Amino acid sequence: MGLGPEPITAASSGPSGASGRLPDVRPADLRWYERLNVLNLSLVIFILLAIVSAPVLKGSGRDIAVFERIADLFKRMYPPDYSVTGEALWALLDTGRIAVWATLLALIVSFPLAMSASSNISPRWLVAITRLFMCVLRTVPNIIWALLGVAIVGPNALAGVIGLTLYSIGYLVKFFSDAFESMDNKIADGLKAMGASSFQAFIHGTLPHARPLIWSSTLFMLEYNLRSGTIVGFVGAGGIGVLLHSYWEYMQLDRFATVLLVLLVPVVLLDFLGNWARAKITRRVAAKT
Amino acid sequence: MDWRIPRGKVVALVGPSGVGKSSLLYCLAGLLTPASGQVTYRCDGGCAHQPKAFRVKLGFIYQDFRLVANSTLLMNVLCGKLGQRPWHKTFFGFPAADRERAKELLATLGVSRHIHHCAGEVSGGEQQRAAIARALLQDPEVFLADEPVSQLDETNARRVLDLFKTEAHTRGKTVLCTLHDQDLVDDYADLVLRMNWKHPSQWRLETR
Repeated sequence: MGLGPEPITAASSGPSGASGRLPDVRPADLRWYERLNVLNLSLVIFILLAIVSAPVLKGSGRDIAVFERIADLFKRMYPPDYSVTGEALWALLDTGRIAVWATLLALIVSFPLAMSASSNISPRWLVAITRLFMCVLRTVPNIIWALLGVAIVGPNALAGVIGLTLYSIGYLVKFFSDAFESMDNKIADGLKAMGASSFQAFIHGTLPHARPLIWSSTLFMLEYNLRSGTIVGFVGAGGIGVLLHSYWEYMQLDRFATVLLVLLVPVVLLDFLGNWARAKITRRVAAKT
Repeated sequence: MDWRIPRGKVVALVGPSGVGKSSLLYCLAGLLTPASGQVTYRCDGGCAHQPKAFRVKLGFIYQDFRLVANSTLLMNVLCGKLGQRPWHKTFFGFPAADRERAKELLATLGVSRHIHHCAGEVSGGEQQRAAIARALLQDPEVFLADEPVSQLDETNARRVLDLFKTEAHTRGKTVLCTLHDQDLVDDYADLVLRMNWKHPSQWRLETR
């Protein structure tokens, strides 16, 4: 436990400790390089990066009246054109449908993949391959996946489902396999010792523990997909984003404002509701393990 | 170590804490590999089994119970049958006969009130009795019980040991069980394995 020449460890370690304790060493201050732990080091690197990256703040270099432009934008948005509320609500419903199906499909696909990405269930080579593959899925932004979806099935909601599903799989597999790996193997091993097969031990020993975590991360993914379901509309993959995109393109900012308002309410609600539900679900696990 | 345990006996393992009672049971169950020698189970026909191949017939009751905290007591008990049922018979729920037998066992052990509660919610004694019910449902040839009554009051401890005794004497099962209470050892054990700090070769299996 004790690192370095601490008197306590030295005194209690060997039989010679009984005869005489080592003289107390006056504690010295740490040298500057000894204080460099990962936290400090990464902070220093981050600050250096910020300095090096400063040129992005230059903008176009032209003299732009920033505040006037902002004021102009708001003037165009106000008053919102409420005549498009109905249309916006329908589009919002579409976004919801995209998110629900993307999450469901991702859940189904992620489950077996997460099993093969968990080092306590699968052989190491399989874990490595699955994780690499998932890393690729996560690296590509969901809007690019949606673009691919549009290229394959055309500009409609299905493209959105495809895009969000692929992206969600990357994350859910990570969440699920983390959940599986954090589980206590003792119980599953106990079941195996009574004759259960590995599969049965997983279903009856590991899964009940992982279930709350799995469900809470699925809810998180649903929440996430509802948000990003807005973005994928910008590339034509259905949902409320299509409206946002077209009103913006035609500079109908009063309508754009209405769509934003329609979007704001569910997103805020979802934020509170999602946090509350997930906390409830996972507290149950914490209390029981 | 060299002793012979006949079928249908209750064997009490007694000895000071840390002497290796649990380790011995773990070795017998194939959960630990002995440093030297091996464990073999012989059945009537003369066949011999390694513990791993024999594990369906070995009912282990863990000192720390090893119940699934997020599953109900009933579900936990049913897990005792996992090794005897193909996966598709347990995946969507256990057969009705198994469920009935599990409820019956839990009732015998006095925990029928809590069968639909999660194991993490009930008391230590109730968890322990569920762990015992799980082993009983498994209906093994050999019970390896690591302090099966550590959390139980006298009445319940006797109830459990009565069950073990019945299993041994009327159904020909063998029970190996670590016990601390000398009265219980006197009342229930047919054989006593006295373990001490001397070399295991000096451990004695005494007939009562």
